[in-house]
This record gives sequence, C-alpha cells and structure tokens, in this order.
Amino acid sequence: MLLLQQIVNGLMLGGVYVMVAVAFTLTIGMLNFLNFTIPALFMLAAMFFWATLGGGFGSGFTNLLNHWVPQSMHWVVAAGLALLVAILASLLIERFTYRYMKTRFGDATEHAIPLVSSLGFLIMFEHLVIMTWGTDPLSVNSPFGTATIKVGGLLFGVPQLLSLVFSIAIVWVLHIMLMHTKTGRALRSIAENPDTALMLGVDVQRIVPLVYVVTGGLCAIAGILFAINYRTVGPYIGDQVATVAIAGMVLGGLGNIWGAIVGGLIVGLLEVLSTYWFGADIVKVPVWGLLLLVLIVRPSGLFGHATIGKGKF
Amino acid sequence: MLLEIDSLDVRYGRNHALQNLSLQIDHGEIVTVLGANGAGKSSLLKAILGMVKPAAGQIRFDGADVDRWTVPKRVRNGLALVPEGRQILTSLTVHENLLMGAYPRRDVRAADIDAIYQRFSNLAARRDMSASVLSGGEQQMLAIGRALLSKPVLMMLDEPSLGLSPLLVQELFSLLQQLNTDGLSLLLVEQNTNMALKVASRGYILELGRVVLQGPAVALAADEQLQSAYLGE
Ligand SMILES: Nc1ncnc2c1ncn2[C@@H]1O[C@H](COP(=O)(O)OP(=O)(O)O)[C@@H](O)[C@H]1O
Ligand SMILES: [Mg+2]
Repeated sequence: MLLLQQIVNGLMLGGVYVMVAVAFTLTIGMLNFLNFTIPALFMLAAMFFWATLGGGFGSGFTNLLNHWVPQSMHWVVAAGLALLVAILASLLIERFTYRYMKTRFGDATEHAIPLVSSLGFLIMFEHLVIMTWGTDPLSVNSPFGTATIKVGGLLFGVPQLLSLVFSIAIVWVLHIMLMHTKTGRALRSIAENPDTALMLGVDVQRIVPLVYVVTGGLCAIAGILFAINYRTVGPYIGDQVATVAIAGMVLGGLGNIWGAIVGGLIVGLLEVLSTYWFGADIVKVPVWGLLLLVLIVRPSGLFGHATIGKGKF
Repeated sequence: MLLEIDSLDVRYGRNHALQNLSLQIDHGEIVTVLGANGAGKSSLLKAILGMVKPAAGQIRFDGADVDRWTVPKRVRNGLALVPEGRQILTSLTVHENLLMGAYPRRDVRAADIDAIYQRFSNLAARRDMSASVLSGGEQQMLAIGRALLSKPVLMMLDEPSLGLSPLLVQELFSLLQQLNTDGLSLLLVEQNTNMALKVASRGYILELGRVVLQGPAVALAADEQLQSAYLGE
C-alpha cells in the first residue's frame, strides 16, 4: 500500500513536469529551438501568484485587492497576473531571440545565439526576482490548503489531483487543436518545413508568436500548480523543475507531445520512488542515469522520430 | 500583361543568381523558362512569389506593384508555386496537404476539394493516408492539386516532370494544357526542353542568371544552334 501511495504521489508530481516538458517540446518541435527561458517563465508565474496572495507587491496593492475583490476570488487575480506576466515575458523572448535572428540572418534555427540569449534572459529574470524578493523560500497562502481525499486507503491531495487532471486535460486540448484546426495544421506545416508553409501562404512570422503565447501559458499554469501544491516558491524553482522536465522530454522523445506527457510522468514517478527507496539525496542520480541510458540505447526517446526538428506532431 | 518583370536582380551574398532579368506573361499564356542547372530558374520563381528578396528590379502582377507584398498576400492574389521537388508535407495526410493549399483563402468550398479528387482519383483513394506513402507521380498530382486550391491566376511550376516516367510526363503535360484551356496562365520552368516548347507559346533561355535568348516557342524549338549550345542536346 505504501508503494502504491508513492506511485500515486509520483504521478501527481509528474503533472507539473508534463506541462513544462510539453512547453519545451513545442518550441523544439515547431522552431527547432531549445528555449532556456522556460524555467524563468515558470518561476515568474509562481512568484507573481505568491506575490498577489502574500503581499509581495506591497501594502498598496494588497489594500486595493482587498477593497475591490472578495477574499475568495483573490486567487483568480493571482492566477490571471501570473498568466499575463509569463505570456508577456515569453513574447519578449520571441521578439529578442527568435524574431531578431530570423530578420537579421534569415534563419533563427541554425544559430546557437538564440539558445545563448535565452539563457541570458533566464539569468536576468531570476536576478530581477532576487533583487525584488530575495532568495529565501516564500510560503504561499494557498486558497486550496492541504485538503485530501481517501480512496481505498490511498491518500490523494486535492490540489495534486486537480493539477494532474488539469495538466493532462490542457495538453489534450492542445493536441486536439494541433490535429484538427486550421491553425494547428499551419503549425504542423511550419514544424515540418517553414519554407513550404510560407510558400503555401502561411504567415509564418505572425503565427510563430502564438507558439510563444502557448509556451508562456503552459509554464504559467505549471508554475501556479506548483505554488498551490508545494506552497513554497523561490527564484530557483524553475531550474529544478525544468531540468527534470527536460529529462522527461528527452525520455519521451524530443518534439513529441505524447512523449513529453509519458516522459514527464515517468520522471515524476522515478523521483518519488527513488526518494522512497534510497532517500532524497540520491534522487538526481536515477533520473539522469535513466536519461543517459535512454540516450545511449535509443537516442530518439520512447516516442521520438529519428530526425530532430522535422515533423513530429 | 498579367506579369511584368523589369530588370530583376537576385543575389545570395556574392553569388549573383539573376541579373537584369526582364520577362512578361500575358493573360492565358503558357511561358516556359529553360536553362541548365544553376541558371537561376528557381530563384526567378521564388522572387516572383516573394520567397527571396530581389536586390533590384520590379515585379508587377495583374497591374499591381507586388514588390512590398508578403508571400501570403501574393498567394491570396493569385500566384501559386508547384515547387522543385514537390515539397509535400509528409507529416500531414493527403487531405491535409490539400487543405493547406486552400489555407490563405476563405472562399474554398468542399466542392472545390471534391473537384481535385475527381481530377486525381489516386489522391481520393489515399485521402486519409500520410502523404509519405504517395509515389512520385502521385506526389506531383498532390503538389498541383494543392496549388490549384489557392485558386491561382498564374501557376508557376518548377521542373514538374523531373523524376516521372515518360508516360506520366505525357499525362502531366496534357493536364497542363487542359488547365490552360480552362483559363489558367502558366509559368513553366523545365529541363525537358522539347515537351516544354511544345506546350508553351513563348520561351526564355537563361544562362548564369541572364536571358540569353527569348522568342516564340516554335522558333526556339527550331533553333538548332540553341539546342546544342544551351540545352545540351
Ligand atoms: N539559398 C541559396 N543560397 C546561396 N546560393 C544559392 C541559393 N539558392 C540558389 N543559389 C545559387 O544561385 C544560383 C541559381 O540557383 P537556382 O535558382 O536554384 O538555379 P536553377 O533552378 O536554374 O538550377 C546557383 O548558382 C545556386 O548555387
Ligand atoms: Mg532549380
């Protein structure tokens, strides 16, 4: 029973990884770009969520909030602000990494520069947050508390359960949109060959920011769910979650949405189970050990295609 | 004039792909552009569609100056390209490829797509399969069907007969003639000189980015010196 409980916990932890892994996989699949700002978007959203509820914006803001919004709805404002900041930050990154390279050199995908500048944005965002709120872990005033439900002896944390269901549902909707809408088809065409998409009359320059909006949105929701689940946030939470999510994405296969889901759940499970069996100190070893093993045995991951950056949706 | 190109220059860095090129196409015409590999034929078609930015020169289409138009705008206004190598989207189904052809237009009806399936029954049979299963000939039909769904006024084809069997080449050229009879103007880039000069009314011969000869297709076809000098036959 204890083991089963750990499996449940692992899958629920995996929900957060799934969203971040899907965010990574989307930019790689669509744009052939490993977007290192994703951890920052995640962290910014979690911090803004905390700040809205926990007075991080100062007493003036808190007074305004108390005056205009009933207490029970504060979390909606917090989530809205978190989404907004992550999406705006993501668009900023699109403007100064991807689009800049594209207009300057005609091709953003064959340069390491967007990768390096996205790393620069990550560090900058983290330090802006540190300058504002410091490095200490901050405790989130979660509206959902620690409610649990018990089913057949197994304990399900309500926030955890909600976030697992929510993240799978969101990714499922994203998948439906990619497969069955006109914009989804255009995005898949760009993923396979941007030149062909352009030739057919797809406004590639206009549609690429959409990928960044979705990336920002996914990271924001993951950040909010993290804040609700762990009720502790800090400037470096993005790094921790994103490195594990990257491992999950590579496990599942680069650029494959379903691979990111399965991979995200697997690393969540692996993390919880190895903590259970071997203790917390060792947890990175099995996750990254498995990743390296998969890279050696099956470099394309569980569901990936042999070629990276071409047609994976 | 449907298309008027005046002193077009295309460069890739130091590489001068087209120099001082002028070309005209009238409504309802089939015009062919011939030349060896590297002559600049593909660059010409890409410049007309807006995929590459010319260094100098002017392109007028249907009376409008299109130089500052984006590719989507040019497609919406009646330019379409059947590219070299077909560029089928193999991660999409056959049907999705056709839908992508209709992408920039709002006025494409189910009947328009049915008409394509009626013309190309092989595609109808593979409608929901991945486009990667198609043979070379079927891929060419899909590329043409896809271009037709953007309802072009001028369709440009880049070496459409490449890699097709002689029988399929015959079918392709009679299809092109039929489309032309139905009112579509064509700009046909070919290495299959004989066939191209048979269907076209006029031709241009490119060499290293310049027009070295131009005239009625019959005259070009009869020019033996041309045949040996530029067309390698
Ligand atoms: N993307 C490119 N970058 C650099 N040079 C190119 C590019 N595309 C074509 N070229 C060069 O431009 C010239 C014309 O090429 P192209 O238009 O493809 O000729 P064709 O279609 O007649 O074979 C060639 O010398 C080719 O090497
Ligand atoms: Mg060519």
